[in-house]
Amino acid sequence: MERSEDAAHELVATAGADVFAADEEVGRDLAGVDWAATALGPPGQWPQSLQTAVSILLSSRFSMWMAWGPELTFFCNAAYRRDTLGGKYPWALGRPASEVWEEIWGDIGPRIDTVLTTGEATWDEGLLLFLERSGYTEESYHTFSYSPLRDDSGAVVGMLCVVIEETERVIGERRMATLRDLGSDPSVVRTEQEVLAFAAQQLSNNLRDLPFTLTYLFGPDGSAHLAGVTGLPGGHPAAPDTLPVDGSGVWPVEMLTRGESVLVALDGAPFTGLPAGDWPEPPTQAMVLPLLRQGGAPYGFLVAGLNRYRALDDAYRGFLELTAGHLAAGIASARSYEAQQRRAEELAELDRAKTTFFSNISHEFRTPLTLIMGPVEELRTRLAGADARVREELEIIHRNGLRLGKLVNSLLDFSRIEAGRMQARYEPVDLSQVTADLASVFRSAVDKAGLDFRIDCPPLPEQVYVDRGMWEKVILNLLSNALKFTFDGSIGVTVRARDEHAVITVTDTGIGVSREEMPRLFERFHRIENARSRSNEGSGIGLALVKELVGLHGGTITADSTEGEGTRFTIRLPFGTAHLPSDALAPAEDGLTVSTADRYVQEALRWLPDEAVAETRSPVTAAEASDQAPGHTVPARLLVADDNADMREYLARLLHSAGYQVDTVKDGLEALQAVRAHAPDLVISDVMMPGLDGLGLVAALRTDPRTASVPVVLLSARAGQEASIEGLQAGADDYLVKPFAAAELLARVRANVELARLRNHQARWRTALVDSLQEAFFVCDEDGAVVEINAAFTDILGYAPDDLPYQPIHPWWPDAATDPEAHRQVEEAFSQVLNDPKGSYTIPVTHRDGHRLWVTATFNQAQDPDTGRKVTVGTFRDVTAEHYAIQRKSAQAALSMRLTQATSLPEALEGALAELKSLWRADCVLAAVSIPDRQPSVTATEAELRWEDLPAERRDRLTAWFDQSLLTPHDDDAGAGITINHPEGSMVVWIDLGDQRPFTGEDQLLLSLLAGQLAQGLARAHQIDQQRETALALQRAILGPSELPEGFAVRYEPATQPLEVGGDWYDTIPLPDGRIGIVVGDCVGRGLEAATVMGQLRSACRALLLQDSSPAQTLMALDHFAAGIPGARCTTVFCGVLSPDTGQLTYSSAGHPPGILAHPDGTTRLLDEGRSVPLAVRPGRNRPEGTCTVPARATLLLYTDGLVERRRRPLTAGIDQAGEAVQAGRDAAVDDLATQVMARLAPADGYDDDVALLLYRHPAPLEMAFPAESSQLAPVRKALRSWLDQCELPPHTVQNILVAAGEACANAIEHGHRDTPGNPVRLRAEARVDDLRLTVADSGRWKTPQPELNTHRGRGVALMRALMQQVTITSGAAGTTVDMHTRIA
Amino acid sequence: MTTLLTLTPSRRPDGVAQLTVVGEIDMSNTDALATAIETTEGPLVLDLTAVEYLDSAGLSVLFRHTDRIEIIATSLLAPVLEISGLADLTTVHGLDTP
Repeated sequence: MERSEDAAHELVATAGADVFAADEEVGRDLAGVDWAATALGPPGQWPQSLQTAVSILLSSRFSMWMAWGPELTFFCNAAYRRDTLGGKYPWALGRPASEVWEEIWGDIGPRIDTVLTTGEATWDEGLLLFLERSGYTEESYHTFSYSPLRDDSGAVVGMLCVVIEETERVIGERRMATLRDLGSDPSVVRTEQEVLAFAAQQLSNNLRDLPFTLTYLFGPDGSAHLAGVTGLPGGHPAAPDTLPVDGSGVWPVEMLTRGESVLVALDGAPFTGLPAGDWPEPPTQAMVLPLLRQGGAPYGFLVAGLNRYRALDDAYRGFLELTAGHLAAGIASARSYEAQQRRAEELAELDRAKTTFFSNISHEFRTPLTLIMGPVEELRTRLAGADARVREELEIIHRNGLRLGKLVNSLLDFSRIEAGRMQARYEPVDLSQVTADLASVFRSAVDKAGLDFRIDCPPLPEQVYVDRGMWEKVILNLLSNALKFTFDGSIGVTVRARDEHAVITVTDTGIGVSREEMPRLFERFHRIENARSRSNEGSGIGLALVKELVGLHGGTITADSTEGEGTRFTIRLPFGTAHLPSDALAPAEDGLTVSTADRYVQEALRWLPDEAVAETRSPVTAAEASDQAPGHTVPARLLVADDNADMREYLARLLHSAGYQVDTVKDGLEALQAVRAHAPDLVISDVMMPGLDGLGLVAALRTDPRTASVPVVLLSARAGQEASIEGLQAGADDYLVKPFAAAELLARVRANVELARLRNHQARWRTALVDSLQEAFFVCDEDGAVVEINAAFTDILGYAPDDLPYQPIHPWWPDAATDPEAHRQVEEAFSQVLNDPKGSYTIPVTHRDGHRLWVTATFNQAQDPDTGRKVTVGTFRDVTAEHYAIQRKSAQAALSMRLTQATSLPEALEGALAELKSLWRADCVLAAVSIPDRQPSVTATEAELRWEDLPAERRDRLTAWFDQSLLTPHDDDAGAGITINHPEGSMVVWIDLGDQRPFTGEDQLLLSLLAGQLAQGLARAHQIDQQRETALALQRAILGPSELPEGFAVRYEPATQPLEVGGDWYDTIPLPDGRIGIVVGDCVGRGLEAATVMGQLRSACRALLLQDSSPAQTLMALDHFAAGIPGARCTTVFCGVLSPDTGQLTYSSAGHPPGILAHPDGTTRLLDEGRSVPLAVRPGRNRPEGTCTVPARATLLLYTDGLVERRRRPLTAGIDQAGEAVQAGRDAAVDDLATQVMARLAPADGYDDDVALLLYRHPAPLEMAFPAESSQLAPVRKALRSWLDQCELPPHTVQNILVAAGEACANAIEHGHRDTPGNPVRLRAEARVDDLRLTVADSGRWKTPQPELNTHRGRGVALMRALMQQVTITSGAAGTTVDMHTRIA
Repeated sequence: MTTLLTLTPSRRPDGVAQLTVVGEIDMSNTDALATAIETTEGPLVLDLTAVEYLDSAGLSVLFRHTDRIEIIATSLLAPVLEISGLADLTTVHGLDTP
């Protein structure tokens, strides 16, 4: 769009548009716009709404602009032109708004869009906008509102912006805030560093006005040092730590030193890479301002990086200057504060010295005052009895008068010297002589202290001018000092002439002075704290006074000292008078007495132990005790602790006369020892004492439970409530301030003793009780630490109360490494102590000297009434002897039990080893028995262990022990062994204890005892074994035949264990004619006696049957035989003779229960014929006989009454039951049937009488063995046919069985024995009631049948299977067995 | 020793050869039986009426000649002859005879 002034005028005139009339100037420029070229068209065609809006715009005094139409054509008024548009006027008029405000369109565009689309006004306050109105990008702030403008139809077509520029306000407030914050340091007291740090923090909050700042302070040499940085990273080249004084650095130091501000352009090298602060771009300029000091060179300067988006106008400059001013003021105030602080500290130091002085002087004055006032008070009450004691007290007053005088004099000397009022009188003296004389005064005291005193004062070449009084003080003070701090060695005094000076030295071999203390040695009132000394007396003015006095003489005094070795004071006094004021010179005077020496010596003597003063007073007499509280037969024992001997004596005398027993000690440590050794009823202690002071003493007493309750009264020279509170806080019971009245002390002591006695009565009674216990007594705290024990505890365990408390793990616990089991036991018991309310246990413990003890402890939990904490109180007894005795007894009992229970020697040995293993908790126990010419046999708790499994080393050792002496234990690192006698040879028992388990003397003793017992037990077991074997052999011999004929089964159960025989018997006797004698008998009684009778009868019966096979004849002969044998009478016997081929049975019964015959058809018949009386009842009388035929597959049962006889049941019931039992087992093999019958008839708790049972099934099974040859087939078949006939089977059945058996035999012969011809084939046939079983066994292996090759053999097996009901062919390594069954019922 | 066995050849009235066997037949004497049968030509009637025992060894001899023999036996041998299947291959007479 082109613009033309002429055109504009023309348009205004021609258009006549009064739309721009509201503002002449802007209106004219608006009118000059070529509107026709804009989207709005000529003003004449503008809608009324636009005209109205423009009119309002132009007439408003508020800064406004508006945009209208599709291009948002720009309008503004005069105010906006002035405040905001700046250089863009009038170019902007009629242009699209986006073009006019291109640079901020990103900010305002969206807002305008919002207004146009929603029709709602926006509001922005203080929005930061970068404007380009002043020739640079300028930071500005506007508050504005965009309102919608609507056309005539009401549609939003434009917007009106009302703008208030707030740049000045925002920036002003920002700067004000920084200045305000700078002055708002909350802390009152600040160091320079704190000031700068705080300022930096504030400056860094305003990175808009101050993108970066540097604070430099000038050093004494004029160079500048960096003291504060904001906005700049450390180490930036623009911020070097130091700037040289010549101004060659980054910043113009020189100009600033003169106090001028400098504007620096930030171009080039050091300024590249500066940070931008809060702005997009870094500063281009920095202002450097001096930190001005009133009336002096600047402290330093402030470098401020400038906001490139603001001009450096007056306001900005003013802000920077104010900031620098703030900093300067802060530094000034900090520096002045520091100066004040130093002054205050100096004053405080002075104050401290004074305070020290006064507190010392207070002590020194008050103590002597007490000592004066006390006796004086006593004197007042009993002046009448003026005796030796009164004189003694007067002596005290005298001595302390001297001392006080001396002290006061010294102080006076000081004040005189300080005031220059010292009246000196210098006279020429023989200094060697004078010094030696003064020194000799101290000799007695030095001697008494046990020190060597060397005075070496040869005459000097000329006289020395001294004031005698002053010199005396110099020498005596030095000697007094030396004596005070020297405990052994020597003190020496020398006088020499050197370089026109008299040189006097006083040396000692005392504690010396530490290097740090040396400079202050002669300082007034300075005392070396905590130095070991003979007395705490002293005010610290002695050496200071000496120095002053030597100075008055124109001399010097120096000291050199090595800590722990000694100190040497060297005084140099010039010869002549030139150094002295002439008016103070005087002629020599002779015979001047040493006036003050006595005081020094007297004082020094008081520091030393005085044999003449008994430290422990003898008990008072009854008369003297009158002042004591009545009711106590034992005087209270008091302990007085004071380093001042006079005070000690005074207190002792005072308290002694009041009826107390008094012990005295010189300091806190002695007091502590005395109390621990024997607790007194009350301790009276001075607060200030060398070594351990009174407060320390109280603290030490209170921390030890044994002394915690001892009451303490503290005496102190320090007055004031604080001091007494300190004392009471430390745990003192009472506190007295010197000077105190004697009556007051006595009253306090009496009250405290009474109170303590009341309080301690229980405790003492308890202590007495506890100590009188013979059992050890202990108290544990919550954590298990033992905090109290009694004397018996120490006696038993060796641990004394001195080392209490004993923390767990207590030192008497067995060592966990070497004796883990014992350790574990104690651990368990200990946890019981901690957790259970009460209990008791027996545990192993270790005495202090290392030996093992066993103690039985009982404990109860209780509550400490003082603290409320849980404690455990317990006692224990030494049960070591009992323990081992019980251990031995129970071990012996256990072993004895094992040995007794064992029924054989191996069992006895195994049991014993198991017992030993459990007793010693061994890994393994073994016994090796030496056997000649063979390796030893081993029995061990590990069942599988054999001799060859043992390590060679162990085998060698065991072998060596075979020949060792018996019952002597040996032990080595792995266990213990012992040699004992075994019935079969020497035996070594070896207990493998594993690693490093102690095998104590007690263990050895026990092992010996047990080994002896074991040897006896084994011998006994061996003997029993032999007897039993003998007995068994005999019993078996009398019982009956060990081999029975086929078809028979027997059972025998003796009533008396462990006998295997009784009064009953059975017998089968193969007779010469092929028949079989059968006998079952029952002698009266049971046990061994009956058995012996039975044996005879059985043998006799057997012999008789062999001679004459008639049962009746046999029994009749037996009648006579039995009549001659005691106990044989009334024996019942069933005697029969059986033909096994026919089943024909002839029998006779001598009072015996009837035999039972079970037929295959299920009926039962009793063999009740041929009955007569028992044996020997009617000897000579004929006996009848009965006969019967045992049918095929019938079963015969003979028995004694033990099988069927039961209490409260008729015998017939038992017989019926037996018959049923046999019938029930018809299908069982006869031996199985015997078992079934015994089981079925057995009473619930077993047979209580002897039982004999004999079964026979007819016919007896057929058993044959024949060579594997085909020629055997016919005889085998014949025998089988004959047996099958006995079984009374139908002919077809017989034929089938014969063919099946023949096939099996043929197979066995043909195939089973092709390799081993001639080996026997076995055939067995057994008939039961309904079933026949046939077995053919060979020792060969059959081939799998191959019918095509061997058709007739395959046909053989097929035949067997077809003819028999069940065929099982089992082929194995041992041979082939054909098992066949068929029903035969 | 072989099992007792008597073998008696004869000729029946109709001219057919006949072998009368008496005793027991087992593997010890089947060779004799076999020889006796083989030495006879043509059809043969075996009279086993007096045989008390016949096992698979004997049967296997008989099986070799089923095409030309007829058998006369009693019920005693019936199970063996029937089970083996011989009775199905050749004519057996007299099995009902006790």
